[in-house]
Amino acid sequence: MSVGRVAVTRGVLLRLREQLDFTKRGKELLEMKRDNLAAETNRLLDKIRTRHEFEERLMDAYQSLKTAYMTLGYSRFQSQAVTVLPLEVKVRMRSVMGVLVPEIVQGKKPTINSVIDQSAYAAAMQLTELMTELLSIAEAEGRIESIAQELMLTNRKVNALERVILPKMQETLRYIEGRLEEETLEEFFRAKRVKAIIRGKD
Amino acid sequence: MQILARAKTLRDVLDSLLKTDYAVEMSQLPTQGRDATTLEDIFLKRLVERFFFVRRAAQGKMQDLLTRYCARFEVENIKRVVRAKHGGQSTEAPNLIPLPREYTLVNFQALLKAKDMDEVASLLRETQYNPILERLQPYKETGATMILEAVLDKIYFSKVWELVGKIHGTKDLIGEEIDLRNLLTIFSLKTRDISARLIEDATIPLTYALPKTTLQSLLQSRLEEAPNILGTRYSKLASEVLNLLRSGAPFPMEWVFFKQLYNDASATLMTQPLQAGYVIAYLLQCECEAKDLVSIVTGKQLNMNEEDILKGLFGIYRE
Repeated sequence: MSVGRVAVTRGVLLRLREQLDFTKRGKELLEMKRDNLAAETNRLLDKIRTRHEFEERLMDAYQSLKTAYMTLGYSRFQSQAVTVLPLEVKVRMRSVMGVLVPEIVQGKKPTINSVIDQSAYAAAMQLTELMTELLSIAEAEGRIESIAQELMLTNRKVNALERVILPKMQETLRYIEGRLEEETLEEFFRAKRVKAIIRGKD
Repeated sequence: MQILARAKTLRDVLDSLLKTDYAVEMSQLPTQGRDATTLEDIFLKRLVERFFFVRRAAQGKMQDLLTRYCARFEVENIKRVVRAKHGGQSTEAPNLIPLPREYTLVNFQALLKAKDMDEVASLLRETQYNPILERLQPYKETGATMILEAVLDKIYFSKVWELVGKIHGTKDLIGEEIDLRNLLTIFSLKTRDISARLIEDATIPLTYALPKTTLQSLLQSRLEEAPNILGTRYSKLASEVLNLLRSGAPFPMEWVFFKQLYNDASATLMTQPLQAGYVIAYLLQCECEAKDLVSIVTGKQLNMNEEDILKGLFGIYRE
């Protein structure tokens, strides 16, 4: 909205004031959304910070797995592995402040009762325990990715409102108010002059 | 074995094996098919051949005993089918020990095509493994294949044990294997907090140097008390296993128990060359060799370091 081209009328002024109020409320809402998204990101970051320690435990589990694999060989190991009934996982989308984030729902846990060999069982046990944590970290990472994208967009919108749109609207409002005041003064002066001329003739 | 374990890559292991008994099969392998899985197949095939060669060469009661002894491959394959069916695997399960059709009365092709465990059991109805049918219900209730596997072990060792008394010199190693298998089962299941009754079901109901009362006490007590309960013969093994468990090292218990068995087999080979036990010792050594070769090639494929591979070998090899 270019300030110079705007129609200077009371109607426009009233509409512009309404728009300004609406935009300010929108900005407040966007700021609230931004703050909530930032808080959610911080909460998820705490979870992701455990990843390093988790990866170390995962490497230990892999070492157990390798030892079991080496001792049993492929065919025996495979034969033990097929008895493990798989983990059931569902991924559904959930809305957090209007942002669709993945939510991982764990169903049946893997059953490893039929793994008889002790080394394969130990490895399966370690990996099963880590799997829950792995899914939780994966969920947090997926959420952060979606939230970070939205946070960036929201931040951009808030900045645009705060630094460009609202100042421009306020400037336009001031311009119209100024022009209308000038016009009122002119009108008043004109009326006074007309009155004086009429009196002079009398 | 030391040289193989210290080889830098799987290819170097293959080159060294070209100078051994496995050379013919190795040389026929295409360059792209030289992985641990294919090599394992070759080692197991050669192991089966060795077992059945010795069985063919034997006569009379010794042949009968070896026929029953060689059924361990058949039993292992049935266990693998049982596990596959438990896991809902389809008909194609190529991970069986390569056992030629003439060495087994079990129709593995039909077993593999079976829809479920009931069909597997019904296919075994006409074989010596028919007691598996009676254990189907407990298996369904617990959902643990160890119940069915225990039946198979029980049948196998009972059949072998029937003839052991009739052939002098074979009792020691076979009896020791039964004892060690029972100890392995008890130790590994006790670490999982499985009920004493289920563990007892999973053991072989035969004993050699371990009285039944000792096994019962072991089942009822804590693992820490095992060295005292077991007495002198196996107490050292029990202490070794407990130390391994305490250290948390990723070393399988099987390694401790079977290393003992293979060492005793090796000692028998040196001390009893004129007794029937020599044959069993030779076969156990063949098994040990196959397991160690499998460990080496698998370890090399997984890029494990030579120290870890050497530590995981069952046999004792001197440079």
